[in-house]
Amino acid sequence: MERSLAVTLNALGLFGIALVLAAAFAAQLWLGELPCPLCLLQRIQFALLAIGPILNVRFGPRPSHYALSLLVAVAGAAFAMRQILLHIAPGDAGYGSALLGFHYYTWAFIGFAAAIVLIAGMLLFDRQFKGASETLPMRADIFAHIAVWSVIALIALNVLSTLLECGLSACPDNPVVYRLLER
Amino acid sequence: MEFTALFLAVTIVMLVAWWGSRAAAMVVAAAALIASVATYLHHATDALNLSF
Repeated sequence: MERSLAVTLNALGLFGIALVLAAAFAAQLWLGELPCPLCLLQRIQFALLAIGPILNVRFGPRPSHYALSLLVAVAGAAFAMRQILLHIAPGDAGYGSALLGFHYYTWAFIGFAAAIVLIAGMLLFDRQFKGASETLPMRADIFAHIAVWSVIALIALNVLSTLLECGLSACPDNPVVYRLLER
Repeated sequence: MEFTALFLAVTIVMLVAWWGSRAAAMVVAAAALIASVATYLHHATDALNLSF
């Protein structure tokens, strides 16, 4: 796999992460389902998952960038698995609504597991790392620019929504209102 | 509050990754990852209000 193809695939990965973050936001805004603390942590892991691809787009693919994303994906999968296990008891309807039969945290686990497999798959192709010792930034095309700024914009919106939801104190276990908007 | 801070930290990491140096981005990304895992471990021992 050539370096340019690997960069394009990383930009595609960023669009995938943006899609996940946008879907979570859509559920929050349109269905009125505020994310719980563990849900927020999973969102944060999806956001951190984007750092590796951003570095790959900016400085070219490197094993260390993929390794960072792998560590994040493992942490995210562990957080999602904990939430699955919390609601696996008989009689527990789970937290929030289900999408295509699975709750969001189950989809999050599937997403992180898929990310681990895809990153490991990308690491199989050595030719993308040719010239990886250079530290000069690469010129990103418009496709990569849109991918990176989509993710950054969504995370900036999450800063605002989390501030509105939790206020300046600890987030409630089962949030139902935006604390800062309460009168 | 800690989640707002974590989202803000990730935004800063992304801006450093896009505009700053590679080494700085790797360091702040690792710090954000450690902070998120520490937040998880801090809350992992909270009492649970299960819905059944």
